[in-house]
Amino acid sequence: MDTFLQVLTNGLMLGGLFAIVSIGLTLIFGIVKVINFAHGEYLMVGMYLTFLLATGLHVHPYLTVAAVAPLLFVLGALTQRFLIQPLMSARDEHVQIFATVGLSTALMNLALLVFGADIASTPSSGLRTSLHLGPVRILLGQAVIFVVSIALVAALHWYLQRTQTGRAIRAVAQNRDAAQLMGINVNWIYILTFGIGAACVGLAASLVAPLYPTQPTSGTYFVLIAFVVVVLGGLGSIGGAFLGAMVIGLIDSLSGFYIGSDLREVAVFGVFLLILILRPSGLFGRKNLAHVSP
Amino acid sequence: MSYRKALTAAAAAGVLLAASGAAADVKFGALYPFSGDLALLGEESYRGLEIAVEEINANGGVQGEQIVLERGDAVDNNQAIGEARRLISREQVAGIFGSYASSRSIAASQVAELSGIPYFELGAVADEVTGRGLEWLWRTNPTAEHMGQLIVEMTVEAIAPRLNRDPGDLRIAIIHEDSSYGTSVAGHQERYGKEAGLNIVTVQAYPANTVDMSSLVLDLQSRDIDVVYQTSYQNDSVLFLQQADEAGFKPAAIVGGGGGYSLQPTADAVGHELIDGVLNADFTQYLVNTEATPGLEDFVSAYEERYGTFPRSGHSLNNYVGAKAILQALDEADGFDPDVIAETMAAIDIPAGQTAAGYGMLFDDTHQNERAAMMGLQWQDGKLVTVYPEEAAYAPMRLGNE
Repeated sequence: MDTFLQVLTNGLMLGGLFAIVSIGLTLIFGIVKVINFAHGEYLMVGMYLTFLLATGLHVHPYLTVAAVAPLLFVLGALTQRFLIQPLMSARDEHVQIFATVGLSTALMNLALLVFGADIASTPSSGLRTSLHLGPVRILLGQAVIFVVSIALVAALHWYLQRTQTGRAIRAVAQNRDAAQLMGINVNWIYILTFGIGAACVGLAASLVAPLYPTQPTSGTYFVLIAFVVVVLGGLGSIGGAFLGAMVIGLIDSLSGFYIGSDLREVAVFGVFLLILILRPSGLFGRKNLAHVSP
Repeated sequence: MSYRKALTAAAAAGVLLAASGAAADVKFGALYPFSGDLALLGEESYRGLEIAVEEINANGGVQGEQIVLERGDAVDNNQAIGEARRLISREQVAGIFGSYASSRSIAASQVAELSGIPYFELGAVADEVTGRGLEWLWRTNPTAEHMGQLIVEMTVEAIAPRLNRDPGDLRIAIIHEDSSYGTSVAGHQERYGKEAGLNIVTVQAYPANTVDMSSLVLDLQSRDIDVVYQTSYQNDSVLFLQQADEAGFKPAAIVGGGGGYSLQPTADAVGHELIDGVLNADFTQYLVNTEATPGLEDFVSAYEERYGTFPRSGHSLNNYVGAKAILQALDEADGFDPDVIAETMAAIDIPAGQTAAGYGMLFDDTHQNERAAMMGLQWQDGKLVTVYPEEAAYAPMRLGNE
């Protein structure tokens, strides 16, 4: 029983990790309608920035978020302004996807050039301490990720629902042309949203880096899972992405223990396919993908 | 730099080299990944070859001719093929040395085979390199099979006695990353382990870029595992060691299979305390009893003089040993015709304990050096030292109560 609880807890913690990495992706997808394949590399860049700042300035890795999130915001905004926006009017919207794939490869190889293929490890600064809650044990850093991912979902919900800019963002997501007619600067909203989505990844990176080794390919595994999570949650649904992440985390952990680690991915992607067949718009998605639902 | 520019530059450099070399020189190809994500150890491997060639050139060359190395950059499998073609048809090399990465070697050696040009593999470990029945490929270095074999042998001969246990009583788990490297080493571990009567409780694969191994750790914990064999890259070595520690899983021994376990950054990432006592098997490294590896000290000083740093891994040493043995043998031959080279290779017979890597050299029917061997290593106080076999040990193995 205790082992079962531990497996379950591990699954939830893993879900928290997947959630915090996926939230930015679902925001960008839901509003800008761009499938950002460079998402994992944003995370990787954020993790390297965390590593550099934490080791260079000898500060706690969490403090680096003050610099990493804004820097990632800039990276995201620049991507939208100079890579995606010029392609917005391209005849085929798939061109944007290939542009992000190109960005992903470029960033990965840039990291190889700058940092080499070896792992960089951000100091864990006590975040690897185990907390014992009854029969289960969790790492302090994992618990923080879990809590922050919930807080981030809540904060984005509040922002999109209650602020003027948030309403404008939702308006653009619902109908770009109508929003433009209402006097909303659509290009600016896209840049802002891309920036916010990337900044969310920056936040995630500062929390993830102290727990996991950083290498140029760090993003690849995360991005695959993040896409599954986002699709499962219903593309563009932030709350859905969170719940999707929990589902994937639990399946991953339970199948890893009860079926075998080599079949984990089979279980995860099997369930994913099954859900898509039964509910093509995801667990929490609406049929009309024009919406972003908090 | 784009590939095209790189190619142009490489070609230009090649022309310059060719122009400056005297006509009597004999040209060999050096095909390694010099750029891309395998570049670090590709370059490290090449340095071993370069030192062997410079040493031999300084002593009068081979058959009185100076050896010129023509570099080919095997950045990916396609380019490995392209560069092999260039080396053979344009540069007219007498043979090709390579290639560190097994996939590059497998791709490029096909080209050499078709042209009937000898291909000397000095560092790739996959079974398939020599397992394809190629006529023109020889491999000097130990392979995935030697690794599995050595780990099992070390378990029976050294680990079990130190734990005061019968080898057959130890509950062993094999875990490995699921690409060809992990899978083949794990396969050999399982096969040799069963032959030796070991109790292999479970074999589990996982993707190398995984972000969570906690359920695997829990599984091993619930199976009461005594010894874990892990064949892994850096990320998964770090994750496993950390998550095992956090879950309070303390097997009597952990044995890595090269890869991440042989790299200093792995030890630095998990912490020297946590990795202390972890065992490993790999190519001959530098903290070894040099009586078993004659010439190792000379190699290290030549390396330091040439590159201004201590060798970054055992790859350079193994490439050096293989290249030197081959070139020395060719010195006795007459000419560089492929047939002459094949005869020369067949005649090489170096007993164990006479090269700088410790192993001897004798090629079997598949052209694999059957005397190649790996060594057992252990992380002790933040350093990877040789602990097995005993005659090559730099320090005694620390395990159990010792």
